[in-house]
Amino acid sequence: MKTPIVKLSTLLILSALITACGDDGDTGPQGPAGPQGEAGADGMNGADGADGEDGEDGVNGNSAVYTVQITNLTFAQPFAPAAVILHESGYMAFNEGMPASMGIEVMAEGGDPSMVISEAMASTDFLDAQNSGGILPPRMTGEMQTLVVPELDADDLRLSVTTMLVNTNDAFTGLNAADVSNLAVGESKSFMTITWDAGTEANTETASTMPGQAAGAAGGGGAPAGYDPVRDDFADAVRLHQGVVTNANAFDPSREGLATSVLDESHRFDTPTSRIVITRTR
Amino acid sequence: MKLTKLASALLLSMAAVSATRAVTLDVEITNLTQAQSFTPRLVIAHDNTVDAFEVGQPASSALAWLAEAGVIDDAQNADSSGANFEAALGPVDTDNGSNTWHRFGGLLAPKATLSYDFDTMDKPLLSVLAMLIPTNDAFVGMDSVEIPTEPGTYTYYLNAYDAGTELNDELNSARTDVVEAGTGNALGGYGLPGVAGGGAPTRIVDLGTGGTGVGAQVVNGEVEDGEDGPVHIHRNALGDTDNAAGASDLDSTVHRWLNPVARIVITVPAS
Repeated sequence: MKTPIVKLSTLLILSALITACGDDGDTGPQGPAGPQGEAGADGMNGADGADGEDGEDGVNGNSAVYTVQITNLTFAQPFAPAAVILHESGYMAFNEGMPASMGIEVMAEGGDPSMVISEAMASTDFLDAQNSGGILPPRMTGEMQTLVVPELDADDLRLSVTTMLVNTNDAFTGLNAADVSNLAVGESKSFMTITWDAGTEANTETASTMPGQAAGAAGGGGAPAGYDPVRDDFADAVRLHQGVVTNANAFDPSREGLATSVLDESHRFDTPTSRIVITRTR
Repeated sequence: MKLTKLASALLLSMAAVSATRAVTLDVEITNLTQAQSFTPRLVIAHDNTVDAFEVGQPASSALAWLAEAGVIDDAQNADSSGANFEAALGPVDTDNGSNTWHRFGGLLAPKATLSYDFDTMDKPLLSVLAMLIPTNDAFVGMDSVEIPTEPGTYTYYLNAYDAGTELNDELNSARTDVVEAGTGNALGGYGLPGVAGGGAPTRIVDLGTGGTGVGAQVVNGEVEDGEDGPVHIHRNALGDTDNAAGASDLDSTVHRWLNPVARIVITVPAS
């Protein structure tokens, strides 16, 4: 900031007034006015003022904040920890008809979503992510996940969510770059989600290939029954899941069921498998 | 064909000072299933006097031809002449007043995506139909969706319907040990029992042969060609896990689906 030049000259233009003193007689004539004084010189520029104090921190002045909440709509399929990712258009965690990434494979077979998130973070379109960290039981609503993105990205915002159905070989539900652009503060968007087959593991429904409780009850399950790098499904491509076959009617004359399956009819699911609600809170 | 189309379009635009304009949409169809192929896609732009199918209503003969045999027009199957969608709608690629339609040929394999240019000839509504094979009479349907006019990209998810014109026996049409009850006809396409498309080039696994029937039973080497309409959401294939026995010639680990079965993305170009 430049200090303004203070013009002093105008202040120094003074006219002298002379008052004459006479005798007791008539007052003498008034003397002539004195000459006008010369204008003073311009003053020097003043010194620069001191720097102002820093303003107070803004209250998330340039961030948009979102909460994401998942409800498990199935009867008997717990959801593994969910990857919840906000990103710009352009990034896709997976593409139908294409082979799954390793992150999707690990998530869909064993339940751990952390590699899905690290894959997303490698994208220039990534904004923020949360790992819900816990199992979401059937028929329950999970805790809110909070995500923060720059406000200027709120006009081109996509939500991706992946979470494994744990009593399956490689089924997962969620959202694939759902458009959540231009939500106003306080506005919500709700999605009823479909279920994908990662295509990375054959749907044998055996105790040794599924991590969930159903497999555990049959002597398998857990981490050893989760991720397996072998891709042995009949098509190495993400597509919509056809549902679990289960062992119901496996041994009656219809032969409808799958004899190797440790799942029973209660593990069946239909679409939608989850409801996902995103709300912009700031 | 292209020339006549252009010529008639020109004539039309000269005859009527039209406030609307012909829009060529990009129609992208993705088969979301893992093992059901789509027969040639019937895409219709139409007004509200045309209804290719309606849930809760009996299927037309045209819908039966499409859902049982994948047939849309005479060129595909001369036997369908007079009863198919060509008969119901009028000539292909023509402004038929109430509609214009096109058959996008070839099979759309599971998980595959194809996109097409389609001239709507200013009709307000869009319907899309294709049979799912191997099934008895399942079809994927888009039912009279309003065609958007604002430039942009629009996504729709489609469900699988049961035309209701054939019982879901799930029997392999290639079988010779089963015939239609009463007539003795071999299993096959329109008007006959049996699952079409067992030999389709996009098949995922070979169909079984020993099934005893699901929605209709084999009795003494015969199975009836009944009806289970009106049009409704398909209850899905059952299948079984025994290729030589069991109820079905479909595979319960392969041929089932959960809705939706298709995604359509329509792109309206900027004018």
